[in-house]
This record gives sequence, structure tokens and C-alpha cells, in this order.
Amino acid sequence: MREINRKSITIGWLYPDLMSTYGDRGNIIVLTKRCQWRGIEVKVTSITLETQNSELYNSDLIFMGGAQDRQQKLAGEDFLKRKGPVVKELVEKAIPGLFVCAAYQAIGHYYKPYQGDPIPGPGIFDLYTQHPGDQAKRLIGNIVAELNSEFGIRNSELRTTIVGFENHGGRTYLGKNLKPFAKVLKGFGNNGEDGYEGAVYKNAIGSYFHGPILTKNPHIADWLISRALAEKYGNKVQLTPLDDSLEWQAHQVMLSRLGVT
Amino acid sequence: MRSYIALIAGKLTRFVSGVLGLGAGGTWPGEVALSISPQILTTLSSQLTEGIIIVAGTNGKTTTSSIIAKILEEKGRRVIHNATGANLVNGITSTLLRNANWLGNLQADWGVFETDENSLPRILSEFKIHPDQIGTKFKIIVVLLNLFRDQLDRYGEVDVIAEKWEKALLPLPKDTTVVLNADDPGIVGIGEKLYCKKIYFGIEDKKLLQSKIQHAVDSVFCPNCGSRLTFAGTFFSHLGHWNCKKCKLKRPCPTIYDGNVKLPGLYNRYNVYAAIGASLVLGINKQIIDQTLAHVTAAFGRQEELTILGKRVKLVLSKNPTGFNESLRTVISLGARHLLFVLNDRIPDGRDVSWIWDVDFEQLPAWVTPVVSGDRAYDLALRLKYARPVHKLPKGAVSEPVTPILVYERLETALKFCLEGIDVKETLYILPTYSAMLEVRKILTGSKIL
Repeated sequence: MREINRKSITIGWLYPDLMSTYGDRGNIIVLTKRCQWRGIEVKVTSITLETQNSELYNSDLIFMGGAQDRQQKLAGEDFLKRKGPVVKELVEKAIPGLFVCAAYQAIGHYYKPYQGDPIPGPGIFDLYTQHPGDQAKRLIGNIVAELNSEFGIRNSELRTTIVGFENHGGRTYLGKNLKPFAKVLKGFGNNGEDGYEGAVYKNAIGSYFHGPILTKNPHIADWLISRALAEKYGNKVQLTPLDDSLEWQAHQVMLSRLGVT
Repeated sequence: MRSYIALIAGKLTRFVSGVLGLGAGGTWPGEVALSISPQILTTLSSQLTEGIIIVAGTNGKTTTSSIIAKILEEKGRRVIHNATGANLVNGITSTLLRNANWLGNLQADWGVFETDENSLPRILSEFKIHPDQIGTKFKIIVVLLNLFRDQLDRYGEVDVIAEKWEKALLPLPKDTTVVLNADDPGIVGIGEKLYCKKIYFGIEDKKLLQSKIQHAVDSVFCPNCGSRLTFAGTFFSHLGHWNCKKCKLKRPCPTIYDGNVKLPGLYNRYNVYAAIGASLVLGINKQIIDQTLAHVTAAFGRQEELTILGKRVKLVLSKNPTGFNESLRTVISLGARHLLFVLNDRIPDGRDVSWIWDVDFEQLPAWVTPVVSGDRAYDLALRLKYARPVHKLPKGAVSEPVTPILVYERLETALKFCLEGIDVKETLYILPTYSAMLEVRKILTGSKIL
């Protein structure tokens, strides 16, 4: 019997074969399960080098993860010329998205390697990244940050922290009008200088957090899901609360470990 | 003279830490000795009379090197081997120190050393051929098993390691032999660049090839021209039958594709074949090789079997996505019902545990109730929660995984609970990360290392 009132979302996963280092697919797993546990159907579309743009337009939510150098280069040209402009259009239309690590760098204006010319990006987020060279300290470690209250990411536990692991050489600097995602409590963040982590623009989040980011931060996962549903179905969405005690327990372990109360 | 002081200091360190029960004594003696005389490794190893075998790779080093050591011992050779897996420069130095007497004399023919991926370049440069060894039959053999994604926060990218290995192996004398995994494109890519002798091992059994590529793969691109590789199929991860349609680089035909493999798990075939490869290079006859293989048991912590109070415990080290996937596949095929996972995030384990989301826990059958422990027990419990299948719901219903996942923060409590929960003659399978494996062994046997 067909369920005609069942809600569904389509997640467009960019370059899953090239840009999915170190557990990033966990973000897709978390989004998928948190929908399915609520009876919301999920379809995950792989957007690869060979995929047509039309597939990307069908996305209600976009995800793009981290990558190693060689894979990054392979995806880079395709992203700049073909997929990037489509993603930009969707982000401007308030389609929610999550861009982690190398993806976060890729959606800016440019990435300046230590040696060589800057690599241009589609400028979806008003930011740029530069690499100070291998002599400089790499920004690695567990990180805790406090959410920028402007986004109103609510959760039943009234938690405002996010926990994760960062691992990047590049330093990202936000443009004047781009809001940071969170304020660093322990760790380095975007550049180790200004005390900020990540960035948010409309319904899109960019972040350096591995973990993966959504696993111990269920409030962020639910924010993305509810945004996707709201944009798709055009009305305010109340997500059924889930039992996140395990998520928050894991979250708390890291808060305690880093001395944040 | 300096070397002699270093030797004494190193041996004293070992003696003192042994007496005081400090640590495992696996790396400190070497650390101390090297700080006094950085040449100590070269000095000690120059006394080996017949040769050195170095085993490198992401997974399988300990098992492979222990099989090679056993084969050489079966042949009556005196072997020095870092059996406990201390595979950094300080660990290998410690092993040599332990086998030298207080006069600095080493009575051994062969050194068989597994080395950490990052340490391979340094180890190769330290094992310089001594003038006394030139023109003799002194042999150097390097075994390259595989390259998988592992501890990205420590090693960096797989490509970076491959490059480092190439640079380190190029200067080796032409009569060095490198034993290579034909099924790993990245390893073959390194081999292509070398001028020394090469011998390949691989699996030929086409029945075992899977057509779908597992998720946590690296090296799906041609190491020569960068195009995407074509696979007839994979055995696991990116190991399989491959070729490049663009530059025509392809999987070489392996010389070794057969052998008496007694250890379970597809990955152990590679380990055994690699050991056979090294042995054939040494001219060891097949009978001795087969004889040794017939009673090969698991190495330290790698499907190591312990018996505690009449109950069987199997330790299956699981420290990166590929290894973990294969451990899971193997223990499930062995009929496992009781599993204890222990996840730590100390330096040897890798501090970032994101990698557990690249492990396919979805393959765990419903009748297995996993127990979880370790520093990051809750992260692993979370992973297991999200791995459980979801059943189709009537509209409006909310589903949650109903069986609780058992988490015991304290390892002693977890072990006690698990052992009490199984009958005599049943097996408890423990899948720990590296430091967790040492801890489990310590608790169960009262000693951290052999």
C-alpha cells in the first residue's frame, strides 16, 4: 500500500568516491538514520565526476566531505566548472548543505597553497584559505566550540557546544559578512588566530570538524534535516524528538576530557 | 667508545625498567641508546652474518614477520626479531640491544624486523652494508605488504607514504630483493620505480573476487598515470585484479599464489604468501617452508588465542578500517556470538576515531550482542547504534534500536562481564585497537608483552 503522505528527502552527496576521508560518510549515515527513525524516507544520490547537473538539482540537502590532495585535485576542476555553480545556486536558494574540511575550503573564493598560484573557487562562501607551508604547525586535535547563538539551533538538552576533531594545514579567513559557525573553546578553529570555527551562510554550514561532525552533535544533524523539510514542504517542521542520550553521553565525554564544563 | 656507552645505557634502562615493572621495556632502551650514539643501530646490525629482512605495510607486518622468523629458525638460523611489534627505530634498536651481550656482541645470522610506515626510510638508511659484509652473501630483503588508510592524523595520506617509500627504496643495492603484493596497485606502483630484484605474490582464486568495491578504499587510481583503475573484482578494500585502460599498467602475474594457510581470514593468505616469497628468495626449500607453515600459530595479538579459566579468548587486533572490516568478516565466519570491542585513542591508536565510521559494522548479524569498552567506548557504541537496520514503520511511528548496547568504561569490568557470560568451550572474540590490545593482554595474562 503506498504511503502518499510520507515525507522524504534527497541528499546529494558530492564526490563520495573522491572526497570521503576519515569517516566523513558517517555524516550521511547519521542524517539517513535520523530521518528513517522518524519515518522520513531518504534517498542518497552520489554526485560524481560523471554525474549530470540535473541530478544535483534534485537535492534537498547537500553534503561534501574532506579529501586527500590527489583526490582534491581531481574533483577541483569539475567542481569549479560544473558542479560548483549549481551548488552555489542551490545554497542561494536556501537549500541546506554541510561542507567539511577540504569541501569547506573548496567553496570559498580561493585556496592559496604555500607555493604556486591561488586555486580559484566558486565563491559560495565569502572566505579564502591559505597554507603557510609544512614548516608551520598543522592544526590537529580534539576541538570544542560554542555555537553562534544567531542560528538558533535548539535542542531539548539546551546544549550549545559542538565537539569534534580537526586536522588541517590550511588557515581559513572569513569575509566581513560571513558569520562564523562557532567560537572555539578548546582547539584551533579556522586559523588558530581569530578564535572562530566554521562558517554559516543561509542554510549552509562549513566546518573543519571531523568526528564525524554530526555523530556527537545531533542538534546540528536535526537542524539540517528540519531545514531541508521546511524548504521542501514549505511549512514549519517539528521533528519528533529522538532518544539522544548516547549521543550526548559521547559528547560529554569529550567536553570533560577537554576541561569544558 | 660512544657506541659502547650507548649499549650499556640501553641495557641498564631495560634492566631498571624490568626490575621496577615500568612500561613494557619495548622502546625505552633503544631511545636512550640512540640519544647517546645515533649510530648504535648500524653498529649492532653490522654483526648480523647473513642478512636483514624488513617487513612494511599497513596491515599484516607482525604476522608476516613472525612467520618469516619461524621459517628461518626452522632452518637452524639464529634470528633476531621484534616479535612484540615495537616497530619504530627505538623499538628495533631495543630488540638488537636485548640480543647483544654486555660486551656488545651479537650472535645472530638474521634480523627480521617489521617497521612502521613512517620509519621505513630511516631504518633502510641505518642498515648500511658494513664493509665486512660486501662481497659476501649478505642479503637485504624488503617485503611490502599493502598500503591502506590508517591513522591519517599520524601518517598523512597514503600517497605521501608511497612517495616516501619509493625514495627510500631507490638507493638500495641492485641485488636487494623486494617482495611485493601484486594485488595492491599502490605497491606495484612503487615497484615499477625500483631497479632491484622484484618478486610478486597475490591471490589467484577468482571465485573470491567481489565485484563491488568496499567503501574505505584508497588507491583506486593508477599510480602511473592517475586515471581511474578498472577492476575485474576485489578481494577486499582495493586489493584485487586490476588494470589501467589508459597507460596499460596492470597487475603483474604473481610468482607466489599458493601455500599452506592455516590462519583464518583472507588477509592471512597475503601474509603467508609474502613470507613464502621471502623464504624462496633465500633459497629455503619448500619442505622446510611447508613444515613451518603447518604449525604456525597466531602472532602477538593477531588472532592470538588465550585460555582463561577454561574459556577461549581470541584477540583480533583491529586498528584501521580495512583491518577491522576483515576482522569482523573473519570472526563472523568463525561463528562468533560474543564480541567485545575496545576502542582507545592514545598515540599508537590514532587520536581521531572518525575512522570507525568507515568500518562496515552493518555486517554484524542480529544474534551478536556486542559489548564495548575503552577510552572512546561511547563513540563506538554510537557507531553500533547507527549500524543497526531500520524496519519499515507505520505512519507516525518513531523507531529506535531497542536492544541496549552494553558499555563498560572500565576494561576490567568489561572483561569480567564478558567472561562470565560465556560457557566453557565457547569463544570470546575481542577486537581491540593497539593500546587496548596491550591492556587486555596485561589484564588477562598479567604481562603486557611476551
